[in-house]
Amino acid sequence: MKYQATLHVNGIAYPVEIEPGRSLLSVIRTEVGLTGAKEGCDDSECGACMVLLDGRPVNSCSYLALQADGREVTTIEGLTGDDGELHPLQQAFLDQGGVQCGFCTPGMLISAKVLLDTTPNPSEEEIRLALSGNLCRCTGYSGIVRAVQSVASG
Amino acid sequence: MSTATYTAAGSLDEALAAIAAGARPVAGGTDLVVGARNGKAPLPESLVAIHRLSDLRGIGERDGGLVLGALATHADIVASQEICNRYTALADASAIVGSHATRSTGTIGGNVMNASPAMETGGPLICFDAVARLRSSGGEREVPLSELFAGPGRTTANADELLIEVALPAPSAGTGSCYARLEYRRQMEIAIVGATAVVTVDGAAVADARIAITALAPTIHRVPEAEAALNGSDGGADSVAAAANAAAAAAQPITDVRGSAEYRRAMAAVIARRAIATALARARGERFPIPASPALHGAVDGGAA
Amino acid sequence: MATAEKPFIRQDGKDKVTGLGRYTADLTMTGMLHAKFRYADHAHARVLRIDASKARALPGVFAVITHEDVPDVRYGAFVQDRRLFAKSTVRYEGELIAAVAAMSPEIAEQAAALIEVDYEPLPVVNDVEAALEAGAPLVHEGWADYSASEDVVREGNDCSRSTIVKGDADKGMAEADEVVKERYVADMSHAVPIEPHAIVAQWQGDKVTIWSSTQVPYMARIGVATTLEIPESHVRIVVPHLGGGFGGKCEFHYEAQIAALARAARRPVRLVFSRREEFVAPDHRREGQVLELETGVRTDGSIVSRRARVILDNGAYGADAPFFPQLAAMMAVGPYKVENVFVDASLAYTNHTPSGSVRAPTAPQACWAVEQHMDAVAAAIGMDPVEFRRRNIVRNGDEGPTRQVFEDIGAAATLEQAVEMIGYGKELPEDEAIGFAVGWWPSFGLASGAHIKINGDGSGTIITGAQECGTGAVMALPLLAAEILGMRPDDFSILYQDTDAAPFDSGASGSQTTFNNGRAVQRAAIDVREQLLDLAAEHLEANRDDLELCDGAVSVKGSPTKRVSIPELAEAAQGGTLLIGRGADAVPAMPECDASGCTGRLGMESFLAPTFITHAVRCKVDRETGVVRVLEVAAAHESGTVLNPIGANGQVEGGVVMGIGMALLEGSLIGDDGRQQNPHLLDYKLQTASDSPPIHIAWADTRTKEGAGGPNGSKGIGEPPCVPTAGAIGNAIAQVTGARVHQLPMTPARVWEATQR
Repeated sequence: MKYQATLHVNGIAYPVEIEPGRSLLSVIRTEVGLTGAKEGCDDSECGACMVLLDGRPVNSCSYLALQADGREVTTIEGLTGDDGELHPLQQAFLDQGGVQCGFCTPGMLISAKVLLDTTPNPSEEEIRLALSGNLCRCTGYSGIVRAVQSVASG
Repeated sequence: MSTATYTAAGSLDEALAAIAAGARPVAGGTDLVVGARNGKAPLPESLVAIHRLSDLRGIGERDGGLVLGALATHADIVASQEICNRYTALADASAIVGSHATRSTGTIGGNVMNASPAMETGGPLICFDAVARLRSSGGEREVPLSELFAGPGRTTANADELLIEVALPAPSAGTGSCYARLEYRRQMEIAIVGATAVVTVDGAAVADARIAITALAPTIHRVPEAEAALNGSDGGADSVAAAANAAAAAAQPITDVRGSAEYRRAMAAVIARRAIATALARARGERFPIPASPALHGAVDGGAA
Repeated sequence: MATAEKPFIRQDGKDKVTGLGRYTADLTMTGMLHAKFRYADHAHARVLRIDASKARALPGVFAVITHEDVPDVRYGAFVQDRRLFAKSTVRYEGELIAAVAAMSPEIAEQAAALIEVDYEPLPVVNDVEAALEAGAPLVHEGWADYSASEDVVREGNDCSRSTIVKGDADKGMAEADEVVKERYVADMSHAVPIEPHAIVAQWQGDKVTIWSSTQVPYMARIGVATTLEIPESHVRIVVPHLGGGFGGKCEFHYEAQIAALARAARRPVRLVFSRREEFVAPDHRREGQVLELETGVRTDGSIVSRRARVILDNGAYGADAPFFPQLAAMMAVGPYKVENVFVDASLAYTNHTPSGSVRAPTAPQACWAVEQHMDAVAAAIGMDPVEFRRRNIVRNGDEGPTRQVFEDIGAAATLEQAVEMIGYGKELPEDEAIGFAVGWWPSFGLASGAHIKINGDGSGTIITGAQECGTGAVMALPLLAAEILGMRPDDFSILYQDTDAAPFDSGASGSQTTFNNGRAVQRAAIDVREQLLDLAAEHLEANRDDLELCDGAVSVKGSPTKRVSIPELAEAAQGGTLLIGRGADAVPAMPECDASGCTGRLGMESFLAPTFITHAVRCKVDRETGVVRVLEVAAAHESGTVLNPIGANGQVEGGVVMGIGMALLEGSLIGDDGRQQNPHLLDYKLQTASDSPPIHIAWADTRTKEGAGGPNGSKGIGEPPCVPTAGAIGNAIAQVTGARVHQLPMTPARVWEATQR
């Protein structure tokens, strides 16, 4: 049986009709049509699917879409300004070599944003801990840490 | 995922009615949905979401102790100054659950009712004499956490009961506590071996000691022999070691992909010793970082016990 | 040098940070179906019966295909030992029995489970050493009849054997003052790109377009054409953004099965792997190894003899692994002067997931063993491990294991740079130590092509066969074109990852993109430059030899006002002869060597443009638990000229952290049934940001001679960074604990066990 729900994704209301077992990630990627959040694992370990739900981070692959009914979801696509201007973190990831294959980048940026929203001037230790739920296989995290540092100190 | 019916409860009574009709509750989904995705167990036929029940949120004081609403998240627990000061081992535990996403989403209620023998918060809750309040449409009862855990993934709660809160009585003055785990990484870990110590000192002597072991038996439990070795002692290195060895002797470790039984038993003594020593240090007023585990593993400065 | 003047920002970066870039699993089409595979239920069994009737009858199922539905073709890079679907035998847990296309992934999964298969279980070949013993059950019965490259030496379960013979190892051993003999075992590990495999196939008439998460689109095209018996021109492979590879997406994986499924279903079909499938199914994981090393040394620190026996775990099928024994044999000697050598390396068939190129195949594991062994040898003669390496490391004019004479190398320079960066000799807390390891790796010379066209507005487009797997190697190609054409890198767009558009390339493998395609792009740029000069000479009525290209214009040398801009020339060309450059460079010749006594020569007997690496690590070891923290890494690399520092450093940073993962936690546990026991990220643990240390990087200043290396004297850069890290960590652990760990990964339990002996 399908249920009606309204997801507010990046400020836009999406009425959807979905089965209760559907994950938030699959609805964002399919019904909502935003593919920035990625699926990289089966057990909530990689963080590629991370989005914000009412401002708090959640691994959307392991969250029921119906539980997001009526709530605010922010995906990586919501970081970019309406005029297409990059968020300072997005620009910093480009400038500091924080992006290689890019598959972890959407989730990584979500974690970085959560950190800076709550801790504007984090130590390197705090940055590394805050990014630990997002696995990256390309960069060794160095460029990503530099990127967050550059925004924090800027 | 094969769930057929879903309700988002708007009130506790609505949730209890759904549960009485056979629905399983879901809050953050960090155990339930993850377990379904990795093939551990399919999602239940019928679900009732309880995330909207604001009555079950929050952390408050009661009778000098604390009450954790079932929907209090690990992030809420770590953010509570009261818990960091008085129930430090619980803060140690919640601070190292999964990643920040898990801690923001995962609730204490779900964590307790999932009854994993490796759950981080189990040892601290048992040692702090936590009591679970279970409610069904037929009534309400209180069950000490030590009696709630029945086996891996099993509790003594009835199918129609919902955990609504976990109450923590006030610890005695002079109490310090610590939860430590053996961890291969600093985050995104699951306890391979864990130990909790809650100790109360009276002058130079240990007035009361509670010691529990995690991921070393089908359920998390206290070890009376370890506590006896510490109670009344001076809390010096010998008695700490004796207590830790007693904790290790009580372990029933298994061999699995995360470690051999032999290694787990040896680590039980090490981790228990570090947890006890840190709890004692905190009881004596020394400061030690929260969470304790990374510092105890030398990942950050903090001084190893 | 064509180094980036301002910080290099990759052209695909904006797509990636905004989440708008499409990866294969993001693609969808009207009427698209979802694919699921039915895998073998045993690691080794005879297949007696396959009945898919119930699966076919399930509503929502459009096609179920098995070996009966595709041509009976065996394929494989060196030994043609496998089929698209199992026919009479399954040889590993991830082998395919059938593929299903259905309306939803759930229905496809349900249908796959409904396929009935009867098996007769066969003995599981689970141990590489037992596999090579006489009388061991064969993984491939009757495989002598398989077609195979004639250069592969094979027998029994040994899929490929290579030896290195130099001097007289026995005599050398007898002349040594000390002989040290050790045994090391490395477990299987994995590439683990964060993006799992995904494929979409769609037919139009008798041509198929396949969007695939492959590192090697042209290899995929050849694979599809071969196994489905259709011309290459009927197969177009397009790679959307690729979410990492590290070798795990090399070779030809599943494109043919999904194409066949789409043909049978008469619909586009999409396959997206789960993480579990990613671990068990593709024939590209890092091979387990058993290494027995024996070294004879004089008290002055000179190595007189090295004997080694290396056995690699091939898994059930050869894939591209048959050249690994020869690589491993070179690694078993290392970048050191050793007068007498005998190395015997084998590739044992087992019933495990097949091995294949994963970032520097064989090297990190072999280097981990050899470099720990070097420390053990140094200890045996009471010499400092750095000093011992100084005395033996190869320098210009020295000979390698097969008497290749090295020229223009900086191996010793990397050692000194690492010593300096890590502060070797400084006082450390008693639970910390510094460990060193030196490694090497070849560059691979392969055919590769590119075109450059100058558009009507004077901008350029590079049309390249090269594949971008995340490293930025393709993104950096405009630097090379811009340098030759006097244009800015931003003036170029790049068309890539489409086999119908661009010339052949070997893909994102073997660190070869810049090395080979970079030269192709330079050739194409030179071709265009000549055309621009011709046109400008006419336009300026000047002597062609007096012209130069800079700042986006052609001008007369010494008369900067006499100039014509490239946009002006491009506009003129658009009304006449178009500006199109063609680039394909000859493959550099392999360096000379003497491999006369060696068997199993598969192209690795000498190293083209070899790179050298020294890593120094500072580790803290918790002696009681065996938990190791890597606190700091100094990575010194010699890769010839560095063309794009931000890209090169990114390779080192990523490679080092991958190396730390291999060193400490990454390994597959295999059960008695031949199956992986931890095929998921909770128990196959990658390093997180908080486990990863600061990394200091230095590049040794060397430049390879023109024609002996890559563009502008560069060498391959992608694979080497993960080579020596694990060995350096092993040495640091042994320094702290006094106990050497002989099994990789060096998990806390293994470190602890070593201290208990």
